[in-house]
Amino acid sequence: MTPARAALRRAAIAFALFPLIALLAPLVAREKPWVSGRGGETIVSAPVPFDPDAVDLDRRLASPGRRHLLGTDELGRDVLSRALHGTRLSVAAGLLASALALGLGAALGTLAGWAGGRTDRTVLLFLQIVQALPALVLVIAGAAFLKPSFLVAALLIALTGWTDAARLVRAGTQRLKNEAFVDAARATGASNARLLFVHVLPHALPPALATLPYVLGSAVLTEAGLSFLGLGAPPPTASWGRALAEARNLLPGAWWCILPPALALFFLVWTARRLGDAFLGRRGDVQSRLA
Amino acid sequence: MLRFALRRAASALLTLLGVLALVFGLVTAAPGDAAALAARAGGNRAVAISPEALAAFRHLYGLDRPLTERFLTWVWRAARLDFGRSLLDGQPVTLRVSRALPATLALNTAALLLATLIGVPLGVMAARRPGGRLDRISGFVCDALFSTPTFVLGLVFLLVFSGWLRVTPLFADTETGLRGFLLPVATLALASLALIARFVRVCVAAALADPAALAGRARGERPSEEIRRALRRSSSAFAAMGAVLVPSVVSGSILVERVFSLPGAGSLLAEAVFARDLPTVLALTWCSAVVVVAASLVADVVAAALDPRTAREDEVTVPGVAA
Repeated sequence: MTPARAALRRAAIAFALFPLIALLAPLVAREKPWVSGRGGETIVSAPVPFDPDAVDLDRRLASPGRRHLLGTDELGRDVLSRALHGTRLSVAAGLLASALALGLGAALGTLAGWAGGRTDRTVLLFLQIVQALPALVLVIAGAAFLKPSFLVAALLIALTGWTDAARLVRAGTQRLKNEAFVDAARATGASNARLLFVHVLPHALPPALATLPYVLGSAVLTEAGLSFLGLGAPPPTASWGRALAEARNLLPGAWWCILPPALALFFLVWTARRLGDAFLGRRGDVQSRLA
Repeated sequence: MLRFALRRAASALLTLLGVLALVFGLVTAAPGDAAALAARAGGNRAVAISPEALAAFRHLYGLDRPLTERFLTWVWRAARLDFGRSLLDGQPVTLRVSRALPATLALNTAALLLATLIGVPLGVMAARRPGGRLDRISGFVCDALFSTPTFVLGLVFLLVFSGWLRVTPLFADTETGLRGFLLPVATLALASLALIARFVRVCVAAALADPAALAGRARGERPSEEIRRALRRSSSAFAAMGAVLVPSVVSGSILVERVFSLPGAGSLLAEAVFARDLPTVLALTWCSAVVVVAASLVADVVAAALDPRTAREDEVTVPGVAA
């Protein structure tokens, strides 16, 4: 295995930890024991034996200890359990928003590059308009008119994140459609659809696909910002962004409420970006516009 | 050159008109009747509003007019900075926005200045020895900064400096003065610093690998002169970087203001969204679009002035960003 492939594999494994945690969270962090006796007594409890929404007003703001490994928040909810469940929201929002953004960008980029002329100019104008608004402003303005929900957040983030993919696919399609091998295929009587899907897109899409990890990273950041402002998925869904907003009001105390979601966010985005770097086989270049 | 500037300005105006159309479309397409919302915003939500009152309200605000007429009226007013009155307290929106803007402008300007003052030298030093120790360390730090949401950085700063060390205030009110600005500026600057340092590093390293740099070295140029020429050759790309930087700083400052309770335009936006104060939301959206479009216009014209080749391309390409 070449060093580049090994690096790619390491990066992929590191990133895959997060979807894995997201999938396993309901199993790992729950009040219901794994194995219970006939009388309902606990024989084997879950590793984190607290539901993310279980309020315990007797143990509000408990610092990390043996019972609550990472302490509890102002409602006595287990911080670790909420952080684990929060992975679900961030990972799902990141995956959905970046997939939608790439799909939209690829579709519009192909359309612009293949059709050219007036269609191309219209798409470019549309692209300029979306880029004229800072991503977060557009997402917030949209959230002002629609009821905050997970789906709305993902859709709005996708609507701001498609521009780079569109540019890449448009440039690729434009370059390829005049290549000799495309002309040759056209001469043999290949239909437009065949030319596009068999000869052009397989070469035009990969550069945009390689940016997926970066798009995912910035989608996760935007979603967290939206949740932080209280415009993401509504309570009681466990969310890193909202946990941080709640912890902000507890300052100067309760450091244990800030660090777990903060570090989780950081590592999710970091591993995603590392995966992107490994895809491109280089590090450190400014690859994506930051949200 | 002048023709290029004029053409770019025309395209910028078209873009702004498009932004207005997009925002206007959002408002009209949004679920919920604006009249009912506005009438309810002032008083008790439980009280039913008579259909006659709603109709009168619609007539008063011109909501019964055709869509195109409403759009044109709205564009005409937006061009004159008249965004109507806030649904929250009945004050003119322009007044509320202009009261919030100075704090935001000060925050953004200070952060960009600080980021440039540190980021450019850092990028140049890293570029002098690609793969060297400084390059690797700064690359790692910048990568980490790219992955940190701005508001998380701010929260951690608050925790450390205001919570544990108690050297800065917890809330950046007007009373705390400059001390309250320290952490917000540092937070916002760090996010842009990473972008600037990496960008400068990529551009300068490319310029130093250029045959022109080799020719200079063969002539016996001193290292400082070599760097100066490398910077000069990549200056048009730096102008383009400014256009990328501005929207990211604007986005970041919304969250930073929220984290530090700084009473600026970002806080106002968040507040207006919660109160469903649509006129204020629209005015702020419009403001940020004007800032971003103006920045990209200036960046393009400056880039073209520094390097006339960029004026000939249909769009300015930035090396390293979406090649």
